[in-house]
Amino acid sequence: MPAPFAAIAVTRLSHTFESRSGATTLALSDVSFEFPAGRVTSIVGPSGCGKSTLLLILRGLLAASEGEVRFLYGAERQPGPPPRMATVWQSFNLLPWRSVLDNVAFGLELGGMGRAEREARAQDAIRAVELGGFEKHFPGQLSGGMRQRVGLARGLVMQPEILFLDEPFGALDAQTRLYLQEQLSALVERSGRTVVLVTHSIEEAIFLGDLVMVMTARPGRVAATLEVGLPRPRGLDAQKTPRFGQLFEEIYGLLRDEVRKAMLERI
Amino acid sequence: MSEIASREAVAPPVPRRRPRRRDETWFYGPAAMLIFLLAWEAGVAISGIPELFLPRPSAIVVSLVTLFATKGLAYDTALTLWRIFGGFLLGSMIGIFLGVLMGTSRRIFATTDIFVAAIYPVPKISLVPLLVIWLGTGDLFLIVLAALGCLFPVLVNTITGVKQCDPGLILAARDLGASRAQILRHVVIPAAVPAIFAGLRLALGISIILIVAAEMQTARYGLGAKLHLAGQILETGDVFAILLLLSLIGIVLTKVQSIADRFVGRWRAT
Repeated sequence: MPAPFAAIAVTRLSHTFESRSGATTLALSDVSFEFPAGRVTSIVGPSGCGKSTLLLILRGLLAASEGEVRFLYGAERQPGPPPRMATVWQSFNLLPWRSVLDNVAFGLELGGMGRAEREARAQDAIRAVELGGFEKHFPGQLSGGMRQRVGLARGLVMQPEILFLDEPFGALDAQTRLYLQEQLSALVERSGRTVVLVTHSIEEAIFLGDLVMVMTARPGRVAATLEVGLPRPRGLDAQKTPRFGQLFEEIYGLLRDEVRKAMLERI
Repeated sequence: MSEIASREAVAPPVPRRRPRRRDETWFYGPAAMLIFLLAWEAGVAISGIPELFLPRPSAIVVSLVTLFATKGLAYDTALTLWRIFGGFLLGSMIGIFLGVLMGTSRRIFATTDIFVAAIYPVPKISLVPLLVIWLGTGDLFLIVLAALGCLFPVLVNTITGVKQCDPGLILAARDLGASRAQILRHVVIPAAVPAIFAGLRLALGISIILIVAAEMQTARYGLGAKLHLAGQILETGDVFAILLLLSLIGIVLTKVQSIADRFVGRWRAT
């Protein structure tokens, strides 16, 4: 059965930021790519390469200076209207004055769903990320890892056809990150939805991705696209396979020069 | 791996109301006040300072009771409170409304900021002559005066609060499908609440000052008017009694405000 989820096709996407002083920065240059339906595409690149900008454009939260984003449906890849989408953010972006329950139900509330139904759905999502019992806590009372699980529940409760992850574990400590990566991997495998993951961690890009898109330093372009090809479900031992090591080396090789370029540019 | 999860998840789900431990210095203040009052009482009795200059605390309490019992001070108190809160509510509501407009629209801010800059530094008490010409010396005049005093601190704080809203929160709300009006209602205004409350706290103090001061100049009834009158006829006991009453009102209002603050900011207690 073909996945009902949408693919995203971008053609000749460029984006220029204009600062107040009138100086312009080319963040993305001529990016063409197709994010396949029902698969996880990781975007890696040196910092400042415009990968988060690309995510905002794909999500429709930022209008690109040039180029086109289309959503394609079905085996015939018919273009159609934007599907349901949700984003998980590096800095969580939870509303600090709302309880966990009210944060997770926020999107449903905005859509006009009644209290009883939205709270029931939010409860389910909270349990899915193993936060049962914390519904009445405020975000400020939770650890970083728990906050990001709230962020994940808030996105999943919207039943998105496309899930965007913007360096979701960037602000977390190493152990928490490992654990959440495993949890997310399991969630993604079960749902079969389209996922776009932006990360600066090569391991994370391989571990979670079906496809890895490697970007160049600013202005961001597509340097290469790699098929991961590791079997799912993946456990931590996936990282010890020769295929993983080979991918890591290949991506690092592509990135090394770009990272140096990005570093020199900042000096 | 599940060890990490269980270690995190074990925390008991009872976040609010840790028992607040009373610290052992709580009685220092009241005790100091008591000693001060006793010294005052004894000092006046021993030194023989005339009541005209410095009445004893006990006499002040008697004056206050008498004022309430026979001279209708309850009416003056109610009148003054109505004026204070009338001006406070009017000015604050306008301040919050304009502040949200000015904080969210660059065009409106660019147009109106010059008026704020021009009117804010004018001491509002200096508007008394003009307002009396326009509005007479009734309640309307007093309430408008206090409202003008309250408007600007609330306005300026609201603008700051609205502008300081974390852009990430707005992005997250847009991601979840929020309209502009929903972003304002669910993100921008709640984010500005701590700043708005800081403005309200300043405003209430200003309203009290302006009402009492203007009553002393222009009104026939009200605590300021009675205070002025008592001073003119050298009823020092009554002067002190009304000052005591104003002090008590101030204490109660401050307490109510800090309770409201704690309720509104309860999510910040970690």
